[in-house]
Amino acid sequence: MPLKNAHKFTVPHLQVLSEKGTLDKKLDPGLSETQLLRLYRAMTLAREADQRMLRLQRQGRMGTFSPSTGQEAAACGPMLALSERDWLVPAFRELGAMLMRGVPLHRILLFWGGWEEGNVFPGVERTLPIAVIVASQIPHAAGVAYSLKYRGEKDAAVVCYFGDGATSEGDFHEGMNFAAVWKAPVVFICQNNHWAISTPQEKQTGSKTFAQKAIAYGIPGIQVDGNDPLAMYKATRDALDRANNGEGPTMIEALTYRVSMHTTADDPSKYRDTAEVEVWKSRDPLIRLRNLLNERGLWGEEKEAALLAEIKGEIDAEVRIYEHGIEARSDIAFDHVFASPGVELEEQRAAFLESRGGGSTNA
Amino acid sequence: MFEFKLPDLGEGIHEGEILKWYVAVGDTIAEDESLVDIETDKAAVTIPSPKGGTVVSLGGNVGDTVDVGMVITTIDDGDNASSAATPAAAQTRKAPAPEVEATPASAADPASTPRSETVKTPASAVTDPASTPHSASPLRVGPVPAAPATRRKAREMGLDLHMVPGSGPAGRVSLEDLERFAAGGGTATDAEEDLSASAGAISPGETGGIPFLEIEALPDFRRYGAIETKPVRSIRRKVAKKMTTSMILVPHVALMEEVDVTQLETFRRREKARREGQPGGHLSLLSFVTKAVTECLKAFPEFNASLDHFKGEIVYKTYYNIGIAADTPKGLMVPVIRGTDSKSILQIAADIERLGSAARDGKIAVADLQGGSFTITNVGPIAGKQLIPTINHPEVAILGMGRADEQAVVRDGDIVIRTILPVTLTFDHRIVDGADAARFMKKLVMLLSEPLNWLTEL
Repeated sequence: MPLKNAHKFTVPHLQVLSEKGTLDKKLDPGLSETQLLRLYRAMTLAREADQRMLRLQRQGRMGTFSPSTGQEAAACGPMLALSERDWLVPAFRELGAMLMRGVPLHRILLFWGGWEEGNVFPGVERTLPIAVIVASQIPHAAGVAYSLKYRGEKDAAVVCYFGDGATSEGDFHEGMNFAAVWKAPVVFICQNNHWAISTPQEKQTGSKTFAQKAIAYGIPGIQVDGNDPLAMYKATRDALDRANNGEGPTMIEALTYRVSMHTTADDPSKYRDTAEVEVWKSRDPLIRLRNLLNERGLWGEEKEAALLAEIKGEIDAEVRIYEHGIEARSDIAFDHVFASPGVELEEQRAAFLESRGGGSTNA
Repeated sequence: MFEFKLPDLGEGIHEGEILKWYVAVGDTIAEDESLVDIETDKAAVTIPSPKGGTVVSLGGNVGDTVDVGMVITTIDDGDNASSAATPAAAQTRKAPAPEVEATPASAADPASTPRSETVKTPASAVTDPASTPHSASPLRVGPVPAAPATRRKAREMGLDLHMVPGSGPAGRVSLEDLERFAAGGGTATDAEEDLSASAGAISPGETGGIPFLEIEALPDFRRYGAIETKPVRSIRRKVAKKMTTSMILVPHVALMEEVDVTQLETFRRREKARREGQPGGHLSLLSFVTKAVTECLKAFPEFNASLDHFKGEIVYKTYYNIGIAADTPKGLMVPVIRGTDSKSILQIAADIERLGSAARDGKIAVADLQGGSFTITNVGPIAGKQLIPTINHPEVAILGMGRADEQAVVRDGDIVIRTILPVTLTFDHRIVDGADAARFMKKLVMLLSEPLNWLTEL
C-alpha cells in the first residue's frame, strides 16, 4: 500500500512593512494616524526607559534586569490590538507592552529594585506581574483564558508572552496543550530573539521555526517579522478575532533580536559575534516606523526632539517616585495572592509576623 | 557632596578592576555621562555617573581592584549633606607594577607609603594558626553587615560579629563564616583569593615577616632605554596569583624520570592512522598519559587530594578530573577533563581536543576550568626536554611532559634506539614524601612502557 500524506502543514510568514519601508497594501491593517503615533510614542518610551534602566543598574540604583532594546515592535504592536477587557501575561522582556497597558514605570523600577510592591499595579487591571521563572506564565495564561471561556466572557482574550528558550520547558507543552484542547481564547507570542542567554536558536530546537510547534497542538502558528510593528499588530488582531470567535489559541513567533545583554549580569560579547548584532541593529523597529511616519508627513525632527524631551521628563518623574522609596512591609507577600486571603493565609501571616517579633514594618 | 560606591554590577559580584577613567579630579561631569569602565568576573561595563557636579576624588587608579561598596568617586553636587559612611571592609587593592611607576614619590620613600588597611587577615590565618581569631582584637568598628538569621545565630553562639571575618560583599558575614570562625578557622574567603589580595597590596620594602625577604622598588628602567608598560590583567593576573600562592604556600619537590614509550608509540601511531577523522582520532600521547595518571591516582589516592590548611585535614577526592594546561592567546588556561576513570582513551583524546580548542578560541565555559584534581602540562610538542612545573594549588601534584624523542639507550648491554618521554612529577611535600612519589612514578613508568601489561588491568 503506498504511503499517503496524513496531513499537510504550512507555516506562514507575515511582514507588512519591510526593512526598506515598503508597505504591503493588501496586508496593511490600516491603522489610523492616532494609532500610529500612539504606537511610535510607546516604542520610543520603551526604548528610552530601557536605556535609563541600564544606567540606573550600572549606578547601583536598581538591581539586575533584562533589557528589551530592539524588541519594541514585538512588545508594543500587539498591545494596540488589546482592549481593557483583554489580559496581558508577560514574561520579563516586555517593558513596552506593560507601559502600554498603563503600568507606571516606577512599579517596574520597584520590581527590578527588589521590591515586592513592584508586582502591584494600582488602577491597572488584567495585567499580570513580570514572570522571571521561564515559561511559568504559559500555564497561567492558559488557565486565565480557560476561566474567561468558563465564565462566558466572549469579548475578552489573553495575550501571553514568552521567549524562544521557554519553548524547551515542560510548562510550554502543558500550557499549549491545555489551551488547544479546551479552545481557550489565548494568543501565545513567542519572542524569538535568537538567544536564550547564551544558547542560540539552533541549539534550542531541532525545528526550523518556533511557529511550527503550534501545529503539533492543532492550532495555527504564524511567523511574523517581530521588528515590524504593523505585522505584529495585524497578527495579534487576527489571532484575537479567532479567540473571540471561539476558535481557540494561536501561536505567533515574533522574529526579533536581543540587541542588548540577556540581563545586566551577562556579557554577550563572550558568546556571540558583534557582526550579527550590527546586522540586527540596522533592522531597528523604531527607525522603520519613524520612516513610515515621515513618509506620511506625520513626523519630523522637531517632533522627534519634542517627544524625546517629553519622555525624558516623564521618566525622570518616575525615577524620582521610585527613589523616594516606599514603606517596606515584610508581610507584603501575603497581600496579593488572593482577593480575599482566607483564614489559613491570615494565620500564616500572623505566625510569620510573630516569628519576626511582631510588627509588619521594617522589612 | 555625593559619594558614589561601587555597585554590584552583576549578581553576587564582590570586586572589579578599574579599566578606564573618563574624568579626572576637578572635571565637571553631568548625570549619566560616562564615568569609569570596570571589569568584573562577569563583564566589562561602563558606569555612567549617578550625579552631576565636580569630581572631587577618584577611588583608585587604572588597574586597581576595588571592592563593591567602596567609594569610587566623590562628586561635589552642591549638596552639603554627605551620604552614609563607607563600609569598613571596602578597600582598594593597588595594582602591582604599573602603579609603582605612576607614583614615584611613594616608591622612593617607602616609609611614607600608607599600608592598606585590611579586615581580611589571610597571612595570620595561614602562617600563624596559633593566633586564633578568638584572641584577636575586633576586626572592625561600627555595624557589621549580616543577614538577620546570621545575627541571631551569632547571638546564640555567643559570638561578637565584630570579631568575625566576613567573606561577602563589603565584608558581609555569612552563616558559613560563623561556623568557620567558631571552628577556629579564622579567615573566611578561600586562601587563594586572600593571599592574592594581600600580595597586591604589598609595598616596596615590605618583608611579609620573612627573614631576608626584601621586595625592593623597581629601578627606573628608562635610565637604561625605552620601555613600554602594560597592566597585568585578566588571565595573566590570575596565573600570577595562583603561581605566587602555590610557590609560597607549598613546599615543592620534583622527581624526574625518563619513560621508554617505544611500544606505546608504535601502537598509538597505528591506532591514530586507523581512526583518522574520528572524534579523538588525533589520539595524542597526552591522552594515554592522562589515562595512565588516572590509574596511578587510583592506586595512590593521596596524589588526588588537597590539604585544607584551615581545618588541618586532608581532603581525598573520589573523582578523577584531570586538568590539561593549554597555551591560549590570552595565556595559560587549564581545561578539566572530567571523570577520566570512566572514560576511554579515545574519549579522553576527544575531550582534550574539544576543550583545548574551546580554550584557545576563548569560548570555554567557566565550569570547564573548575574542579580539577590533578594537572598535566605538556610543553614537549613546542620544545623542552624537562620542566619543573608549579603545582596547581590546591592540588597535590602536577606532571610535566617533555619532548618524546628517539634516543640511544642501553638495553641488555647493547646500544639501541628507543623513544624516550621525559616526565617530571612535582608534588606537595607536606602531604606526600619522596618515596610515595617514586612509587607513583614507578607505576606510571610500568603503564606507559609496558602498555600490554596495562591492558589486563583495564
